[in-house]
Amino acid sequence: MIICRNVSKEYRHAGQRKQVLQGVNLTVNRGDRIALLGRNGAGKSTLIKLIGGVEMPTSGRIEHSMSISWPLGFAGGFQGSLTGYDNARFIARIYQRQYADIRAFVEDFTELGAQLRMPVKTYSSGMRARLAFALSLAIEFDCYLIDEIILVGDQNFHRKCRAELFEKRADRTMILASHDTGTVRELCNRAVIIDQGQAVAYDDVDFAVDTYTAL
Amino acid sequence: MASASWRKLHNAWEIQTRVIHALIIRELSTRFGRQNIGFLWIMVEPLLFASLVGLLWSVIKGPEEHGISVVAFAATGYIPLTLFRHGVQRSVLVFTINSSLLYHRQIKIIDFIFARFIIELLGCMMAYLFIGVILIATGYMPIPSDIRLFLAGWALYALFCLSICLVLSPLSEVSEVMEKFIPVTTYIVLPFSGAFNMLSWLTPSMREFLLYSPFVNGMEMMRKGIWGEKVTAYYDVWNPVICSALLIAVGLPLCRRVRRLLAVE
Repeated sequence: MIICRNVSKEYRHAGQRKQVLQGVNLTVNRGDRIALLGRNGAGKSTLIKLIGGVEMPTSGRIEHSMSISWPLGFAGGFQGSLTGYDNARFIARIYQRQYADIRAFVEDFTELGAQLRMPVKTYSSGMRARLAFALSLAIEFDCYLIDEIILVGDQNFHRKCRAELFEKRADRTMILASHDTGTVRELCNRAVIIDQGQAVAYDDVDFAVDTYTAL
Repeated sequence: MASASWRKLHNAWEIQTRVIHALIIRELSTRFGRQNIGFLWIMVEPLLFASLVGLLWSVIKGPEEHGISVVAFAATGYIPLTLFRHGVQRSVLVFTINSSLLYHRQIKIIDFIFARFIIELLGCMMAYLFIGVILIATGYMPIPSDIRLFLAGWALYALFCLSICLVLSPLSEVSEVMEKFIPVTTYIVLPFSGAFNMLSWLTPSMREFLLYSPFVNGMEMMRKGIWGEKVTAYYDVWNPVICSALLIAVGLPLCRRVRRLLAVE
């Protein structure tokens, strides 16, 4: 379970303040697949970063009783100047996994071949997505945080994600920020609309998507 | 209850040592790569610094001063100084530089400081050992008369450097002015570093004044540990201990505060 209690986040820069989230309450149950809907800048990524422990809330608390992946998105999690293999090694070390297992899974899932010997900064966003998913799947989290990135992959990647994440690991919890209403309708059982700092949870995904589309 | 919290602490300790270990390896491979001598580069700079300054001094001052080899004296002064300067330089904006790693929740921001400091520490210690062996073999430096006193001095000097880093790193994140001042500050510290002379060579009032500097206390201990009866040393073990404790008491809450405000891309 993940519980956000009265979570607020405000960014300050050079005397200016920007309130992104304001008193967000949210409960995520084990096995939920939650879509985060909201316009650009509404605070979807911010909420995902707070849940992932990347940033700290300005006030409020986030409690969790399951292991949560790092946010799988366009940025973060990797060291650009290191190769794909070196990043895998680093992640195996800090998550205390066998590098050989991780390496085998990454090679198989990403199909990046010799590219894994190149620095990650030379990767396209699709390639980064493959690497990020491969590493987080190899580590096996209870809850996956997915920030947009699921859309960047090609057909082959989508097929693999579907098989590995949505079928083999169908029991896992997932929080997915996406603008793609088709994906959301298909994959999610609950939806949260973030608008003007507030988060409203809906159990009816179709209704939530319609509400979001009307925003 | 006690055993549960003990286990929790033990667990956290294990995670942090693993993380710091991984960070050190990552830092070494990004900074030095795997070509030629690889991570041995970490000791090259302190080594070059110590030996070139030593040569320069021996040209200017002659081979001996107060009955001590000038080359050896320069080496014992400059290697700890390099630790301080590099430690400080490396700790500037260290959170921002490594922020993409904060995606992994077991990595704490002070791990970044520790990892970088340990690298500098290892580099300087390797350089010290290397240069020490050469100077002892060639007769410029005696076999250390009290190696424990030397190591205690080194440990206190290093502890004080680390505690400075723990304060400077978070400060450099919140204030750009601070960041600009750091290079000047490392320069201003030079006369208070104890690198250039023993306290016994100075006037009593000057000596008393410099004994307030934790660097000087550590440096005197190290040199007394090496030269023993040949030098007179003045030091107070508690000065660096207390100064470090104070800085750590300020630095750790500062790090915590900055972590809450940190925006990660």
